[in-house]
Amino acid sequence: MSATATTQVFPSFAQVYQGLAGQIGMLREMAPQPTKSDEQRLKGAVDTLIEDTNADEAVWLESCIHCGQCTTACHYFQSMQDAKYAPMRKMDLYRRVYQREISPMRWWHRLVSKPVKLSDFEEAKELIYDSCTECGRCTMVCPMGIDTASLVHHMRSAMVAAELVPPELAALRMEQKHQGTVFGSSPDKLKEMIDTIREQAGVEIPLDKASAEVMVLSSAVDLVANGNGLLATAKIMNHLGVDWTICSDGFESANFGLLSGDMTLWKQQADPIVAAAQRVKAKTVVIAECGHAYPALRWNPMLRSGELPFEMMYMSEFLGKQAKSGKLRLKPLEQRVTFHDPCKTGRRGGAFDEPRAVLKAMDADLVEMPNNKEYNWCCGGGAGIFLLQDATELRDESFKIKIREVNETGAESVVVSCASCRLNFESGRQKNHWDKRVESLVELTAAHLIDDDESAAATSAQGAAQ
Amino acid sequence: MTLLDFARGPAIHASLIILVAGILLRLVGVLVLTRGADLSRPRDAFGNFKGYRTVFSRAWPASEFNAATVYQTAMAYIFHIATLIVVVGIVPHIEFITSLTGLSWPGLPNFIGVALGTIALVSLIALIMRRLSNPAIYNSTVGDYVTWIIVALPLVTGLMAFAHVGFRYETMLALHILSSALLFAYLPFSKLMHAFWFIFSRAQSGLAYAHKGVRI
Repeated sequence: MSATATTQVFPSFAQVYQGLAGQIGMLREMAPQPTKSDEQRLKGAVDTLIEDTNADEAVWLESCIHCGQCTTACHYFQSMQDAKYAPMRKMDLYRRVYQREISPMRWWHRLVSKPVKLSDFEEAKELIYDSCTECGRCTMVCPMGIDTASLVHHMRSAMVAAELVPPELAALRMEQKHQGTVFGSSPDKLKEMIDTIREQAGVEIPLDKASAEVMVLSSAVDLVANGNGLLATAKIMNHLGVDWTICSDGFESANFGLLSGDMTLWKQQADPIVAAAQRVKAKTVVIAECGHAYPALRWNPMLRSGELPFEMMYMSEFLGKQAKSGKLRLKPLEQRVTFHDPCKTGRRGGAFDEPRAVLKAMDADLVEMPNNKEYNWCCGGGAGIFLLQDATELRDESFKIKIREVNETGAESVVVSCASCRLNFESGRQKNHWDKRVESLVELTAAHLIDDDESAAATSAQGAAQ
Repeated sequence: MTLLDFARGPAIHASLIILVAGILLRLVGVLVLTRGADLSRPRDAFGNFKGYRTVFSRAWPASEFNAATVYQTAMAYIFHIATLIVVVGIVPHIEFITSLTGLSWPGLPNFIGVALGTIALVSLIALIMRRLSNPAIYNSTVGDYVTWIIVALPLVTGLMAFAHVGFRYETMLALHILSSALLFAYLPFSKLMHAFWFIFSRAQSGLAYAHKGVRI
């Protein structure tokens, strides 16, 4: 069976998914209500857009010629065939604000266009949250190269000011803002999980070392649901003999500031991680398999990472570098697999080669999907959309594109390297009774480590996947 | 002053002034805005420059999108190239440009000019037919249709004047020049500005993605 099923300590990922789905249902009731007046909310949204608009955004907003090409690239439009999901429509409201407030022709637009209302932002909510994973595939086809995902991200910031964040994201944003946790993933929870892993799996996780070469981040999914993720990470780090630690004051990869568009909260989450890494004199920070954490830390344009004394890399990059240098040797994976590039680490992150190097180290029969790497179809669950109840139909319908793509490869398993993608794949697998296995790269790697005493026998074909 | 004198004189001159001033106003007005710096460490220290490739590489869609985009892309190319050759290639246009700038070059034979003008018009009609038949894809606004009409008018009136169809020749010629003047004056304030924006827009995205080691 698969990597997860051989480990008895924690529930399988199929059970993890079902457990989390129940918790997500409760988020809607915990969502905060708007606290400001409608005028303040509208002003806040418009002011946010004005502040966020630089020449880049202005050029993109000016460039659209309504040629319609972006619709061919968007999984939501393709699965729903509904005009409102066309990527170019997702910037319409932003453009109206731009034209009236910033454009060199604003005097003209103020004469001929109606002022933007709060209800316009309310109507845009579905376009900005439910139907855009900020995956960037539309940028790949746009003749003007417009980066719609960036514009949608600014719109999400405006939605925060307008207090129009969808209830699930709003509830988690509030939790992370006030308690510093996601689904209750506190430092105590981390310690509890580390104790469980030590006692039941006999694997040591060095918590809060004074100094370490490698600082590893975890994520809420690992702590409150899928203990196998953290266990797999620990097994690999210990196996490699890395001097590593997890810091209880900076371990959470998930950033609901970035997901909801609240960049103040983004900073509140990112700063302690940077501080912890500097304190332990880390040379490398490894970001857990949580796709959005990659742009939150590694690629965030506001994080002056060029001047930091450590390097940040995604779990798949870390594993790939170890595999490429020959330090990570793995047992063969005797099956045909395909790899799904998460939007945030693939097209919008550039970590293409490393996860493939890990699969190569397992000697896997890797077959690429028809649209792969930069052109990969989004699974439909990114940018927080996996959590949104209102987006269920969009998510389920668009996932059928992914099923088609994977089926065409003839692979038995699809390997992912992002907890959101994995949850969405698991949801799609169960709903469609899909006969594929969904594997996480880090858990697959941990299940194929070659123990030193058995390394002599490792080249024999037995043992790995079945 | 006849209609033709008005068209050839004040109308076309004013429209050219509006064209140049409008383009400058819009380009400068946008490009003077601040640029947000990306402070994150690039994947490859000198890799960002590779982003400029997107300005050229985006001239044709990637094969992944071929099936869905090839009709429109091909038609758009035919339209742009045929129109451009007619604008600078036929004798009456060259004479007009010479009167403004003193520059001149040999013109195309009439039959080629007419053929290209017809091709341009047909491809423009092919594009609007597609826009009209796929409303979900195009998200069309009034501006899209107005722009189409303003672009089509000089082509239609030019071909009519050449073929001596419609009003008498002088009137048709005046209408052709007036419709061109309308196009020039309209260009800076419409989506026709994409003639300039495409360079900046592609370069920006190319650089942003190259920063992360992604080629788009």
